[in-house]
Amino acid sequence: MSEFLFEQRNTIVAFLIIGLIISLALSIVKGRRVMATERTDLVFGNPAKALGGWYWIITGMSFVMLIWFYFSWDAARAYNPKAANELCQVAKVESAIKPMRSQFPLDKQNLRGTDLIARDSAQLERINNSLQTLALQNSVKLEAAAILTSLHSALVDQANPVYMKASLATEFKSIAARIDSLTANFNDPDFPGQPTVAQQAAAAAQPGWGDTGKEIPVLATTPLGYRYEAIAAEIRLIAKDFVKLRNTSPHLLAQVADINSRIKDAKARFKADLNISIEEQEARTRLYSQLNKMLKRIDDGAIYPPNSLDDIQSSLVAFDKTHIAQQGSLKAFDTWMMPGGRIMAGNSACSEQGSGRWLPKPSDTLGTLMRIADPDIGFKDIPLLWYRWQPVGGMIAFLFPDWIAELVPGDYPRHTQNGEIKSNFKSNVQDFVTGNYESFSIPVPMGHMWDSIIRVVIGLFFGIILGVPLGLFMGLSRFAKGFFDPMVELYRPVPPLAWAPLILTIFGIQDDGKIFLLFMVAFAIMVISARTGATGTQLSKIHAAHSLGASHRQILRRVILPNSLPEILTGIRISIGVCWGTLVAAEMLAGTTGIGFVENVARKQSDYEVIWVTIIILGVLGLLFDLIMRAVITRTIPWRGKG
Amino acid sequence: MKTLLKTSTAAIALALAGNAVADVNVAYFLEWATPNQIAKVEKAYDDAMGETVNWTNFGSGVGMTEAMLSGDIDISYSQGLTPFANAVNANAPIKMIAIAVAYGAADDCIVRSDSGITKDNASELEGQTVAVPLNTMADFGFRMTMSNLGVDVSQLTIVDQEPADAAVSLADGAVVMACAYGANSLAKMKEVGAPMLTPAEKAAAGISSFDIISVTETFAQEHPDLVRTFVEVTHEANAAWAADQSKLGVIAKDAGMTEEATTSQMSGFTFPTVAEQKRDYFGPEGIARSMVAFMGNMFATSDTPALADYNVTIDTSFLD
Repeated sequence: MSEFLFEQRNTIVAFLIIGLIISLALSIVKGRRVMATERTDLVFGNPAKALGGWYWIITGMSFVMLIWFYFSWDAARAYNPKAANELCQVAKVESAIKPMRSQFPLDKQNLRGTDLIARDSAQLERINNSLQTLALQNSVKLEAAAILTSLHSALVDQANPVYMKASLATEFKSIAARIDSLTANFNDPDFPGQPTVAQQAAAAAQPGWGDTGKEIPVLATTPLGYRYEAIAAEIRLIAKDFVKLRNTSPHLLAQVADINSRIKDAKARFKADLNISIEEQEARTRLYSQLNKMLKRIDDGAIYPPNSLDDIQSSLVAFDKTHIAQQGSLKAFDTWMMPGGRIMAGNSACSEQGSGRWLPKPSDTLGTLMRIADPDIGFKDIPLLWYRWQPVGGMIAFLFPDWIAELVPGDYPRHTQNGEIKSNFKSNVQDFVTGNYESFSIPVPMGHMWDSIIRVVIGLFFGIILGVPLGLFMGLSRFAKGFFDPMVELYRPVPPLAWAPLILTIFGIQDDGKIFLLFMVAFAIMVISARTGATGTQLSKIHAAHSLGASHRQILRRVILPNSLPEILTGIRISIGVCWGTLVAAEMLAGTTGIGFVENVARKQSDYEVIWVTIIILGVLGLLFDLIMRAVITRTIPWRGKG
Repeated sequence: MKTLLKTSTAAIALALAGNAVADVNVAYFLEWATPNQIAKVEKAYDDAMGETVNWTNFGSGVGMTEAMLSGDIDISYSQGLTPFANAVNANAPIKMIAIAVAYGAADDCIVRSDSGITKDNASELEGQTVAVPLNTMADFGFRMTMSNLGVDVSQLTIVDQEPADAAVSLADGAVVMACAYGANSLAKMKEVGAPMLTPAEKAAAGISSFDIISVTETFAQEHPDLVRTFVEVTHEANAAWAADQSKLGVIAKDAGMTEEATTSQMSGFTFPTVAEQKRDYFGPEGIARSMVAFMGNMFATSDTPALADYNVTIDTSFLD
């Protein structure tokens, strides 16, 4: 069933998107119609205006889902499953041409040679300026300055057409011609001819877009794809040949050899000279290494005369134009249907970058959720939410403290000569208090989700049980307020993660530490909300109860508590939200299970689908808890906001 | 009007593209002493590249991957092999270009002394709780150690903890064994326990660790010369260190450690030369090639499956 759904997900998503657009439109129409009728009935500010409104819920949900489908490129995949594959071939061309392109002022401002001359002369200038401040003998300074001048002329002479390496002109021409012929091929609809059977078979055998973790199939499958793939292979060779070219003219080589020998000579004389101050030694070592580095950079011959590359540049521009024109509707599809990123060709595979990468597709995310929800797979061998059979004895063992067994007189049994272990009364008692006996089993929920829920629920439970009475007490007694207020207010603003190292030392790695962290969060909120509720009770109500003869206990139970219930319940709602927020941090302490643990591990594997699954689970669980609280609120305090 | 719009957007795009490559952004680790920190402090990288080199420290190799994907980092120095293998499994467009540092003793599994467990009765670990920072080099060392000693990993309760936290848990007795990296954490752990394997035994078990230099594919395509210079300067610094170790103070200060800690950490490091890297690490049967494939398969999941061929994630052309 789920496999069928997974295979058909593109069709399903395609219909779903249309359905979402329709429901978005209809619900907006409905909402506007209701608004129009209400405009005359309800004045501005009437809270009844915010009640109900299921159509706006549909509007909001449809909007969010559409945004998700759109920016995760699920919509693009649903309507054109081959697009990624074709764009992958396009990206191959772009990445193949990049080493060559990046030398021209096409994607950036300057020709590479211009950049190099600017950069290197600036650095020569810096070294020259620093010469004045260094503690050097004058002769050394003069010598270094002369070398710097030679370096500079070696640098700028490369730009002089007179000194250009003789073979370069023809090589540039041939590169430009090769690009031009490739551009012609690009326009030829028959290029590169029919794919071979082996090519087709290999292409057909690869999985579709997003079918596996490899995301995008690499081999071309469409005529356009074949053409781009073939062009990419050729342009890669051309780019390689171009990048290999060097303007190492005899003139430059002679200059380099000359400078090299001068630096070496200066270094040798420096080494031989024994009476140089330490300060000067350091300065000179550094100076010669700087000169060497500059020479090494300049001898690359990466600078050409200013206009020598014009042919290649205009060929590249023509190639670019064809390259874009040939994409046709694919280009528009890429721009409009795959926003926020692009498909990139690495050397091993094509991959989605941008929002397509970090925002997994809803259909894939659902697939991942269904996969790890399968109790046989789970995450790290633990299911998300499942059950296991557990003996009752072990579960109720916590009722009996283990030291009971120690009180029984006698010793624990020892194994006999033939390896038997006979139990005695003392060991039987110990087995009982530790739950180590045969008892019937009952199914108990387990798994990452269950563990997280239990932690939150227990933390909340203790937060409420302890926080509400303390809050009420603080609202009623000057002593309690004065005594506890500084403590609560001091620890409340500290972010939970700051407590983490302490909690690890105090509680260890078991659940109690994580629960304590959640408890602390819930506790502060409960104290404050209960206190606010208690102090907000109207004095006239208390006076009325008093004059009717109510005892202190009755006033607390019948007047103050019901009056502070709205605040308390709102406090619970807030602390539920904050507890879920803290859970990920709590489970980072010592991760064994839990949604936060799943997220932490998935992060280390850059597994964005699982990360989104955990985000969605956390969101849905939080929403579920909140819905329960809303039901509780409407049931217990229906008078809220009506008094 | 339309042309004006077009030219102005083109101008903005150009300006952005122009600024994006103005500097070289390098990621590195604190408390990880390497000779190239001398070059870093003395600005030898800036001199050789002619660009401003910005160094950003990271807490983990995963963080380096994330920063490289977002485009904030071009080169990661000393990224762990495990985060790298995990990243390429997840299709991250990054490449291994060289070895940064090889080390034997940097990550270790420490067993509590009072547990009485040694490598001879290691199977007693089954049923116990151990702390491991999952999907790191220490995780790899842990798995290799356990399989070497015949311990069934599925019988252990594994707690995912960062080394500093794991040291606390081991000292408290919450876990019986902790696998970790980092000199400070390991020193704390050794107060209450002893390493499971000696360095020699680890080497025999095939647990060799090394960190790599990785770059984003985009940066390698656009600025091969800068990448090559980076590797060159790094090797020059390594060679200078091998010849003369008087600048220890510079490294210690930059790494944020005392000189003693630096000396002891660096005594466990080797910095392979270009020739060694080409022969031992990147040869046809080289350690780097086999290890990255081994690790990629070990940490593969169904969402981030292993690659068919890991050689495509390695580019040794910058070593030449």
